[in-house]
Amino acid sequence: MADRRRINGPVGPTAPPVYDCPQSRRVAKQLDDNAIRKIFLKTGVTPSASGSAYLEIEDPNATGPSGTSLKLTCTVHGPRALPRSAPFSPHIILSTHVKYAPFATRQRRGYLRDSSERDLGVHLETALRGAIIADRWPKSGVDIIVTIIEGDQNRDSPEYDRDEGWDMMNVLSGCITVASAAIADAGIDCVDTVAGGVAALVAKDDKSQPSIVLDPDVARYHKIFAACCVAYLPTRDEVTNIWFKGQLPGADAMIYNKMVERSLIACRNANQVVVLALKEAIRPAQQDSS
Amino acid sequence: MAAPSPLTISSATFAKLSPHPYLLANLQPPDSSTPSARTNGRQPAQTRPYNINTSSLSHAHGSAVVRTGDATVICGVRGETLLTTQIPNYRPPQDDSSGSDELRDYDLLVPNVELATGSAPNFLPGVPPTTLAQTLSTRLFSLMHTSKLLNAEDLRIYQDDLNIEGGSEEENESGEGEKEIKAYWVLYIDVLFISFDGNPFDVAWAAILAALRDTKLPHAYWDVDREMVLCSREETPPLKIRGLPVACTAAVFTAKERQKKGTGQFWILADPDRLEQSLCDETVTMVIDCTEGETRVLAISKNGGTVVGPGLMKELAPIAEARWKEFRAVLR
Repeated sequence: MADRRRINGPVGPTAPPVYDCPQSRRVAKQLDDNAIRKIFLKTGVTPSASGSAYLEIEDPNATGPSGTSLKLTCTVHGPRALPRSAPFSPHIILSTHVKYAPFATRQRRGYLRDSSERDLGVHLETALRGAIIADRWPKSGVDIIVTIIEGDQNRDSPEYDRDEGWDMMNVLSGCITVASAAIADAGIDCVDTVAGGVAALVAKDDKSQPSIVLDPDVARYHKIFAACCVAYLPTRDEVTNIWFKGQLPGADAMIYNKMVERSLIACRNANQVVVLALKEAIRPAQQDSS
Repeated sequence: MAAPSPLTISSATFAKLSPHPYLLANLQPPDSSTPSARTNGRQPAQTRPYNINTSSLSHAHGSAVVRTGDATVICGVRGETLLTTQIPNYRPPQDDSSGSDELRDYDLLVPNVELATGSAPNFLPGVPPTTLAQTLSTRLFSLMHTSKLLNAEDLRIYQDDLNIEGGSEEENESGEGEKEIKAYWVLYIDVLFISFDGNPFDVAWAAILAALRDTKLPHAYWDVDREMVLCSREETPPLKIRGLPVACTAAVFTAKERQKKGTGQFWILADPDRLEQSLCDETVTMVIDCTEGETRVLAISKNGGTVVGPGLMKELAPIAEARWKEFRAVLR
């Protein structure tokens, strides 16, 4: 389908490069079950927006010059007045947009939003809705735009390996963390900073029993049974959004609760990063005024 | 009755409420003690320095992040293969053709600019590309073709044997009589604006140039048994780029908002930022290349007003040359 407003490529179908021999598998470092990858978070990357933030998650097995696996940027525009035609609303209207850049994943993504991006947008909106004090901004709207510059995908697997989509969990938790930092940077009142964390039920190799790990690096495990992404408010101890995907073995009736509780550890860790980044941002301002 | 205290507003508020008088007051200060300068302290002919990082993306064959002033732009180059059987009007090239016709005829270069990432308050997603984005993509597309930056020879994929050596085109040429072109590489060049701060053409072109110089396409050949294009894992040299065209844009700021030619004062501001670009109607862009020692002008475009004539255009050339030297130094 030719998009009239963009430069379209050739009419014929183009295929990504297929290699003649499989890449030698990187030896993944054995990490602890509870080990969470380091997060780099910085606010104020887009000065013309009301608030913005940039997030990177490190790649412990990096071979290239960039040592990071997931890169996200978020801009917040608002609160701004709603158009005159919009009906009166006593609280702020959140609209979220999540978009993959065309070069973010192994398969090239187009410029039009597809269903997975819309899904991520809805999850993000639900997660943030619980944190913002909406009643302070009647008749207003705020736009939260997250751009995924590089997805958290497995670089090693051969081209015929079907992409099961477990990396979207990590992407959603990154989106939640970066959006909450950007909202705080924009000065919108929140009850607490939201943070996202992921826990997964994996089998590390062929013979081992399924076990729960935090912040799963998709490349490392033999098989992933289920994963859940939780958005959590640490100070108030409230969960605003859970996204659960997969199949649980029937043996343990409480495995679902255990997974959600373990993911809260990842959320608290991500929240510490957000709080630190925000403190860094206000420190120069405080030094100027003092 | 006590005299009312004078109303004082900060300069940031002044800039938001009435930007045109604000910029005019900066360029033409009321008292002679303060020097004339632009709003961010630059001189009218001073451009912002570039800051370039390459190879930061792992799913792209080449990438660059360019920062200048408050603007941040990411460019990713991905190569995909296109079989000649899938090209509707394919004809094998004649021996004496330069190779650039293939790039244009078969649409092998696909640049696109995405502004609607929230990079500025007026570029929000959810709407189709604005006029600015469409014109930017088209201008970059035509500059890429007219500057003859890439050669179609480097993008051809032949039916090759397994004696793979880098640059084996010459050896094959002497060995076999004819080589059939089985497929082409198509380069998808995507430019994403993270933060917009005026002068999008210069920054986008700089990002494309840096990303193309960083691009390493794998060695590809047509495998007869599997009847498809396969790539080998060996290291390849980066894509060959001819020359180094650098763009330099300047905007014309007039003292009165609507001014006839020959009346009133004007200033030529090189490398305008967001505030200045919103106040100026007329812009001049010059693309030059000094790789062969002497300055060659590749493109000049001017639109929006009647202030700049051939004389003023010549004055822009030294600014463009200085920008070229600075860009080449940063790329190293």
